Amino acid sequence: MYRLLTKQFIRSRSTVIVTLLVLALGIISVLMGEQFLNKQQRAIDEVAHYQQEHIQQNAQWHADDLGLLLYYLRFTFINSFDPLTALSIGQRDVNSSIQRVTIRGLEGQKYDTDLHNPTNLQVGNLDFGFVIIYLFPLLIIAFTYDLLSEEKEGGTWRLISSQASSPLLYLRYKLSVRVGLVYAVWFLLWVCAQLKLPLSLDMNTLVFIVLSGLYLVFWLALCAWVVSWQRSSSFNALSLLSVWVVLAVLLPASLNSLLANLYPVPEALSTMVEQRDGYHEKWDLEKETTMNSFFAEYPQYQKYSVPEEGFSWLWYYAMVHLGDAESRQSSEAMREKIRQREQASRIAAWFIPPLHTQLLFNDLAQSSLDNYLSFLDGTEDFHEKMRLYFYPKIFEEASVGKENWESFTPEYFADAPEVNGVLAFAPLLLLTIGLFAFAVLNARKLKALE
Amino acid sequence: MLQAINLTKSYGAFTALNNLNLSVQAGDIFCLLGANGAGKSTTINLFLNFIEPTEGQATIDTLDVSQHPKKTKQLLSYIPENLRLYPNLTGLENLEFFCRLGGKRHTNDQLQELLLQSGLQADFIHQRVSNYSKGMRQKVGIALARARQAKVLLLDEPTSGLDPKASNEFSELLLDMKEKGVTTLMATHDLFRAKDTGTHIGIMKEGVLVEQFATAEVSFQDLEQLYLKHMHN
Repeated sequence: MYRLLTKQFIRSRSTVIVTLLVLALGIISVLMGEQFLNKQQRAIDEVAHYQQEHIQQNAQWHADDLGLLLYYLRFTFINSFDPLTALSIGQRDVNSSIQRVTIRGLEGQKYDTDLHNPTNLQVGNLDFGFVIIYLFPLLIIAFTYDLLSEEKEGGTWRLISSQASSPLLYLRYKLSVRVGLVYAVWFLLWVCAQLKLPLSLDMNTLVFIVLSGLYLVFWLALCAWVVSWQRSSSFNALSLLSVWVVLAVLLPASLNSLLANLYPVPEALSTMVEQRDGYHEKWDLEKETTMNSFFAEYPQYQKYSVPEEGFSWLWYYAMVHLGDAESRQSSEAMREKIRQREQASRIAAWFIPPLHTQLLFNDLAQSSLDNYLSFLDGTEDFHEKMRLYFYPKIFEEASVGKENWESFTPEYFADAPEVNGVLAFAPLLLLTIGLFAFAVLNARKLKALE
Repeated sequence: MLQAINLTKSYGAFTALNNLNLSVQAGDIFCLLGANGAGKSTTINLFLNFIEPTEGQATIDTLDVSQHPKKTKQLLSYIPENLRLYPNLTGLENLEFFCRLGGKRHTNDQLQELLLQSGLQADFIHQRVSNYSKGMRQKVGIALARARQAKVLLLDEPTSGLDPKASNEFSELLLDMKEKGVTTLMATHDLFRAKDTGTHIGIMKEGVLVEQFATAEVSFQDLEQLYLKHMHN
């Protein structure tokens, strides 16, 4: 039976075309992921080399002034990535994974990004996650929308109803052939990803695989439910495509717009202005006012004095630090709003499977907004560590030559994604079980004749 | 073998079949004649258990089709007016498919033999059904009935649209099945075919069986007169 059902299905030209199309797009997505990983790795390799070259050159040019040297020196902090990032590029597409910061004010450096070709950004990356979340549902819809209606419209249903001891069982066989082909394509793409990408079979990868498989089951359940209404092929196709548009495009876009309105972030601009003003106005203030604020935060540097007249690096670095300090409230408020948006998105996503899956893919692939915010936190810590290391040396006017500059290699930020298994799978499972239950209830009313 | 006992089917106020009482003995070919909407197809659909009767019973081999749908399905084979098969499969594959659907397994040689016995040309057995004429598809239907070893054949205007040669071939196949003891209930508009092939004829009008008799009792002219009389009244 399965042999004949499979023959009947795969001899259809449209089946072959749609399958090959999704397979080809899936392979392209894996290759694009590989390209992305290679690009990232090249950038990391180059930046490590460049950092040393940059430090050595500047150390020669500013050999007698450590304060001036550190005005220019940039230290690299890298958001390390998992090979899974290749499958779900997420925020890594737009937010830089490599920060090169000086020990001057951080706020103005935090959001520096790579140069991107805007046309490429507009098109976006075709990653494996996109293929799973957006294209596989279309494949499932194409394979299942006329599961029953094609029999009724083609006139074979009467014969099936008269011959089969259980027409419903026949439909299950038929559905399982389609499910088999969907998962065969899915499996082939995973094999392709495994061959092309340095994926390790760790818990994150397994959760990613299971989640992608479960997401497809959700769409199968949805299709089964719509098919169980026993309406025409055109009605089913239109209904399922409408649901796809609503779930994959309309709801996420509307949610984004809603959250942007609920949690506006005027602090994005004010942080930058406050940081710049906070620093620049200090040039016109009494040094004592600046230094008192600085020493209040770092009493360990009170032993260093600032000359009343003229320039001093202690005064300069105090000014730039206070620029950051004065914009800290706005900066934290901005971060809080972004976190609130993210939190609200995640709750709403329980009812929007494509969004839920996308967020989890990004979490597992360390390409989520959470990962990026954590990286920014890590960058702040890194910046502070470098500042506090160099401040006393600058204030004591230590010799540039005595510093072991070769030890300043890029440092890495490692984020261990914590995906709660229950929260990851429960929404999809519950929706899937609900839809299958409705489909089974409807299928019991299966009629031979309309 | 086939029995309708006070069989009635209503759709709201409309009665499609009204108190039908009918008995078809094993090996008989009972032809139901009547205009469109007379209740012929409704009768067939009730025996197929495609629809539930409003009142009465349809039985096959004494089994009520509503009460024993699986058992009665095993006994029957059905050929509609326009037998639809899967165009992507060959005639042989279609036959194998529908046999398996009904729980019957045959070797390829057996199935080929059945198709040949049913009049399908050997050249077409391995061709996709999309290349088949209606007559060829009906022959696959007959082959299916043979393969299933059906005791009862339910036919809903099976020769409608067939050319005279194909129609004649189909009648010969029915007579051959009759010889093997298969009971047939056939809804048709074709008076000539009913007289030529049937053992009994029933005339239906507006959901009522208004006349039934053995074909041997009437000439073709008498049958035509009788039919027209009922249609004009």
